[in-house]
Amino acid sequence: MESVGYHILGGIVTIIVAFTVGLTYMGLSRKITARIQNRKGPPFYQNFIDALKLASKESAIHHGFMQHSGPAFLMVSAILSVLVIPVLNNGNWFPNLNFHGDLIFLIYIMVFGSLGMALGSGQTGNPNSAIGVTRGLSQMVGFEIPWVMALVAIMVKYQTTSLVDLLEVQQTGGWLMFSSPFAFIAGVLAMLGMFRYSPFDIVSAPTELASGPVSENGGKYLFTMMSSGSIFAFAKLVLYVDLFLGGASNLIELLAKTFAIYMIPMLYGVVSPRYRTEQAIQYFWGWPLFFGFLALVHALVF
Amino acid sequence: MVGTPVFLIAIPLLAAFLIPLIGMIWKESVRIIPGLVLAYMTVLSASLYLFILENGTYVETIAGWQAPWGIDLVFSPLTGLLATIMTFMGFIVWLYSYRFKSNVEFEAAKKYFIFLMLLVAGSVGIVITGDIFNQFVFIEIVGISAYALTAFYTGRNSAEAAFKYLIMGSLSASALLIAIIIVYAQLGTLNMAEIAANIDQMNVHYRIIAMIFFIIGIGVEAEIFPLNGWAPDAYTEAPGPVGGAFSGIVVKAGIYAMVRMMFTLFDISGPMKILIVIGLVTLIVAETSALRQEKLKRMLAYSSIGQMGLVLVAFGMGTKAGVFAALFLMLNHAIIKPLLFLSGSFLTFNTTEKYISQITGMAKKMPVVSVLFALGALAISGLPPFSGFWSKLSVLTAAADENLMLIIALVLIISVIEIVYYFRVINRLFFFEYDESVSVKPHKPGFNGMIALFILAGLILLIGFYPASVTGYLDLAADDLLNTHQYIDKVLQLGQSIIQ
Amino acid sequence: METILTIFIIFIAGTAATYFLGKLNGVLRSILFLATLAATGWLFFTGITPESGIEFRILGITMGWGITPFSYIFAIIVMGLALLSGIYAVKAMEDEKNLNFFFANFLLTVMSMMGILFSLDLISFFIFWEIMTWSSYFMVVFTGKDVQKVGIKYILFSAIGAYAMLMAIVFIYSFTGSVLIGDFIDNFHLFDTQMQWLIPILLLTGFGVKSALMPLHVWAPGAYSNSPMSYTAMFSGALSKMGIYGMVIVLILIVQQIPNGYWIKEVIAWMGGITAAMATLWAIKQDDAKKMLAYSSIGQLGYIIVGVAIGTPLAMLAGLFMAVMHGIFKSTLFMVVGAVERQTGTSNFTEVTGLIRKMPWTFLAALMSIIALAGIPPLGGFIGKWMLYESLMGSNHYLLIIMIFFSSTAAFLYCFKFLFGFFLGQEEKEWSHVKEAPAMMVIPMLILAGFAFLLGIFPGLILKPINEGMQFLGYVSTTNRFWEMSIIFNDWGNAVVMMPIFYWIIGVFVFFLVFLTIKGYKTTRYVSTKDISTSGEIPKEHENLTFTMGFMQPFLRAVAPVMKRQIDKYYTSIGNGLEALFDFTRRINTGNGQTYALYFVVFIIILLLFKDSLF
Repeated sequence: MESVGYHILGGIVTIIVAFTVGLTYMGLSRKITARIQNRKGPPFYQNFIDALKLASKESAIHHGFMQHSGPAFLMVSAILSVLVIPVLNNGNWFPNLNFHGDLIFLIYIMVFGSLGMALGSGQTGNPNSAIGVTRGLSQMVGFEIPWVMALVAIMVKYQTTSLVDLLEVQQTGGWLMFSSPFAFIAGVLAMLGMFRYSPFDIVSAPTELASGPVSENGGKYLFTMMSSGSIFAFAKLVLYVDLFLGGASNLIELLAKTFAIYMIPMLYGVVSPRYRTEQAIQYFWGWPLFFGFLALVHALVF
Repeated sequence: MVGTPVFLIAIPLLAAFLIPLIGMIWKESVRIIPGLVLAYMTVLSASLYLFILENGTYVETIAGWQAPWGIDLVFSPLTGLLATIMTFMGFIVWLYSYRFKSNVEFEAAKKYFIFLMLLVAGSVGIVITGDIFNQFVFIEIVGISAYALTAFYTGRNSAEAAFKYLIMGSLSASALLIAIIIVYAQLGTLNMAEIAANIDQMNVHYRIIAMIFFIIGIGVEAEIFPLNGWAPDAYTEAPGPVGGAFSGIVVKAGIYAMVRMMFTLFDISGPMKILIVIGLVTLIVAETSALRQEKLKRMLAYSSIGQMGLVLVAFGMGTKAGVFAALFLMLNHAIIKPLLFLSGSFLTFNTTEKYISQITGMAKKMPVVSVLFALGALAISGLPPFSGFWSKLSVLTAAADENLMLIIALVLIISVIEIVYYFRVINRLFFFEYDESVSVKPHKPGFNGMIALFILAGLILLIGFYPASVTGYLDLAADDLLNTHQYIDKVLQLGQSIIQ
Repeated sequence: METILTIFIIFIAGTAATYFLGKLNGVLRSILFLATLAATGWLFFTGITPESGIEFRILGITMGWGITPFSYIFAIIVMGLALLSGIYAVKAMEDEKNLNFFFANFLLTVMSMMGILFSLDLISFFIFWEIMTWSSYFMVVFTGKDVQKVGIKYILFSAIGAYAMLMAIVFIYSFTGSVLIGDFIDNFHLFDTQMQWLIPILLLTGFGVKSALMPLHVWAPGAYSNSPMSYTAMFSGALSKMGIYGMVIVLILIVQQIPNGYWIKEVIAWMGGITAAMATLWAIKQDDAKKMLAYSSIGQLGYIIVGVAIGTPLAMLAGLFMAVMHGIFKSTLFMVVGAVERQTGTSNFTEVTGLIRKMPWTFLAALMSIIALAGIPPLGGFIGKWMLYESLMGSNHYLLIIMIFFSSTAAFLYCFKFLFGFFLGQEEKEWSHVKEAPAMMVIPMLILAGFAFLLGIFPGLILKPINEGMQFLGYVSTTNRFWEMSIIFNDWGNAVVMMPIFYWIIGVFVFFLVFLTIKGYKTTRYVSTKDISTSGEIPKEHENLTFTMGFMQPFLRAVAPVMKRQIDKYYTSIGNGLEALFDFTRRINTGNGQTYALYFVVFIIILLLFKDSLF
């Protein structure tokens, strides 16, 4: 039954799952970070409490239309990404949008949010926000290059831009992580920037920029941002799983794989101090770019 | 018919003699009579031209002496066209300067108008004569009037310019005389047709030496490099309209003489390396020099020299297309360059230095004149849809037919330079603010001058939008120049038939 | 058939009337100007069908005017933008001087562009091309700023390009004896190999200048930013497309015929890619909105050139679609800058901030076009970008795709800078008096922005004429193969369906917008941008919190090595060298009579020495 209502319902379910999983992972990451730093840390459900608290707050002031739209833009980006990415193999459970998760579209819809957020925070007039945004955009130029190289390598190799097709390929031919190792490495290195954990947390840079773009937002605004962040994180994780780890046929497998992927940027972050912006860019244009080239060569030669 | 070709020379000479006498009685006559004479010459040459287009080349012998013994005047599609252009331009220059010199005293005006008239008459003479010695005489007439006009302002600079011109003119005259002597010694005749008919009998070494001396002799008038050193000075120091007359009339006569010598006298067919080389060098040196000029008229002078270089290149191709292109260029240049000189001298009226910087922002004060100047500048740099484009295009196609790629490239590169320096002036004129401290006081242009400018601008637009209006005539003229045998036959047959 | 002539006659009459009658009365001038545009626009959209034409002869050369399905695409851009920017110009230029000249020249440019598109022969093509060059030149110097520097640079490069083109035309004429473009294409295979390479290269030089292809682009930043913005809207939006138009014809119909001509296309595509990347970096660096948009235009044209140079059906679709889109959003952005400049008196990001509440409609137009420029769905820019990437992948241009991707990602930086610089950020007291631009300026912008939106959801609207044009160029129809009304496909059959995306985006956006504002809308109050927390402190009134200086410095520091060399400087030094050389030739004429006499003698000697080779 392919009716509109079914799609909308499926979409909403997907979003709710993504929201839950994303928030849980964030909570877990706080916990793990704390343990590594020899602290006790908050409980893993702390983020749910935070979200609930924020959602129930009322704002007293605002800065205008763009500030309202900023979080909404973020949400559009997060939800659209999660809708475009096939959550489970063979279209089980979560019917996404009906054009098989085009990767180029995905790249663009994923930056949509940061730009919208950038505009939203721009209207608040807080200089820290603007500084954070410029850093974020600069870093994005950095990590998008190896990321796209990895994607292009994969897309060209399998002559498709569709995630669904790639999932099918992996079901017969094994995980792309092994058949396209360089693309995987480049993709994972790019992911470090995408998740904006330390050492690439130059956007929010808590001590330096007072959280950067989000600094003027509270209450529902912060709640929207937070939930879009968690949905988005889930979307990105599923994307990586779909791309390199052969997708997942059920939720448990999905959770295991996504959590494994999630550990990479998080653990890398815990042990690294923050880069400067240009250092971050130059980092991405170093080894990740090299692996990106290798991936392209690999895709062309083999 | 309102007369015969000889009137084109006789009437102005007679008028030049009479004007001072009449001027004693009626002062205004020194301005009006030259105008009437020039108008008459225009009408005469135009009607003659139309006549010969129908009835074929008209050869007139002077005083009953038939060619090859006597002097004959040849009014062919080529010479007729040039004579018409020249007399018409002469009239335009007179029209422009009619009130222009009203503030100068009687004596000066008298000299100015008489010499202007003689300049035109001499140039027409160079074109229509069929006798090389006679041509030499006309070149001298033109030279003398030109020296006098250059020195018109009787200042130190104009005297110096005139003196330089005089030096070069005299040197060239002697060279020309040497050439004529060589030819006469070899062939025993001075008639062009006769020489052309018998040129094969001439010793080849003498032939080349004679040719070299011809080139040098005429080259000063035709402003070829490196004999054109006088030209920028003379154009700059002479009154504005005289610059227009030089570029519109005198140079054309010089070019004609050179081309007639090469094509008819020495009967060279096919490409003429010498003309191409000289033309290209002239073109390049002149246009590149023009880029860095600080004085408006000097820049225009160099531009004029450069255009003449291009004309020579086109003639040098020796093909029908090349000659056609060259004539088209000459026609356009004869119309456009006077427009530039005349409007330019309105713009710089109140300055003696005539620096380009002095016309900064002048368009705010003299909009119409500025627009006309800009029109001329756009046209001369060959931008469509103005007339200059068509002639440049025909030069290029003529060169492409001969596969002269290097020439095409050079001509186009030079055109870029041309565009740059003309647009610099246009910018200054239109898009700079008028600045009292730099710019000169604007001058209110006279009514007659504006009519002259408008006529020229109208012609530019006419040829630009409807080139077919002139191409037919140019085509006939090109045929005429290339067909040496016809020329010889026409001139000599007439003589022979009477002798028998 | 006669309609073409009528259009030209109306244009010429309108130009003359606007110029001369415009001196009498400003209102009359505006009416005449708009009436001319409207009349020609109406005639064009109703009376012109592809494949109508006339032939005539000048100088014994057969010429023809007509319109092909291919030029029809560009004619739509030209006429549409001319109408809208014309309306905009009438209001925007209100207080300027010399307006009859401006409007007459405006009409002349539009006429010349239409003429280029109507020309079926190379001579009238060239004539209109040159009219376009000098009429646009007069607009570049119209404001009187930097006239000798910017203006001369523009005319110099235009002239070089035009004359390269003229050279090719002359060769073509002498080889084939005809200047009809059709004859040229048919007979091209008869040319000898040398000519087969020379002619396309010369033509591409000419078109490359107008489409600001590196390294021929140096005129563009100055020229675009120096013209009045109402004109630049068309200059960048439509006029630069003339270069693309010619380039497509050369690359598809002519280069295709050369053996190994593939390489020309590859080189052009790479030049386009480099143009896109470098121009984007330079755009990020600019602090002046006009300069930034100018560089951005160069970059966008780079994408278009990549598309048309690759030349596969999808790439061509992408290139032409982007050409249309670029016309739409870049014109809007230039209009936005014009509006901002008119209301505030400056177009510099470092001076103007926080206009969003003062000029909301302008901001809306700017936002839409920026989203389109950045290529973010669901606006039209995305369609073009998507098709370009897919076509590059489909045609195995992997490094080029990285380059394009780099530049379009880096483009986000200046996109943000544009919006933030003008509209967001601190609201300074200095600009508290600023009002929204007049409706006559805002409406054209919004119409264009609306088109950008519409084409994002229904790209088929414009892909249909593009497809017809491409069929005219010899492509197989791409309908249902690469696009449907709202779906786009790539070479491998993958698709993006725009409609549901659009619904979801709008749905989610509206939902959360409502969620955020529904309860708070009445209870919350607006606070000024000074009322913020900066690390927990409340800033004082005089404290400067504006962040615009050195906006993208970290990024620029990272890419500094690439930007160290600037081709402009090389040109300048070449130019200076040439001027010095020409200054030397000027000194050949010393002004000394004795020297001249010496020349005379030397000349005789030279002629005598070389008499054997010269005669």
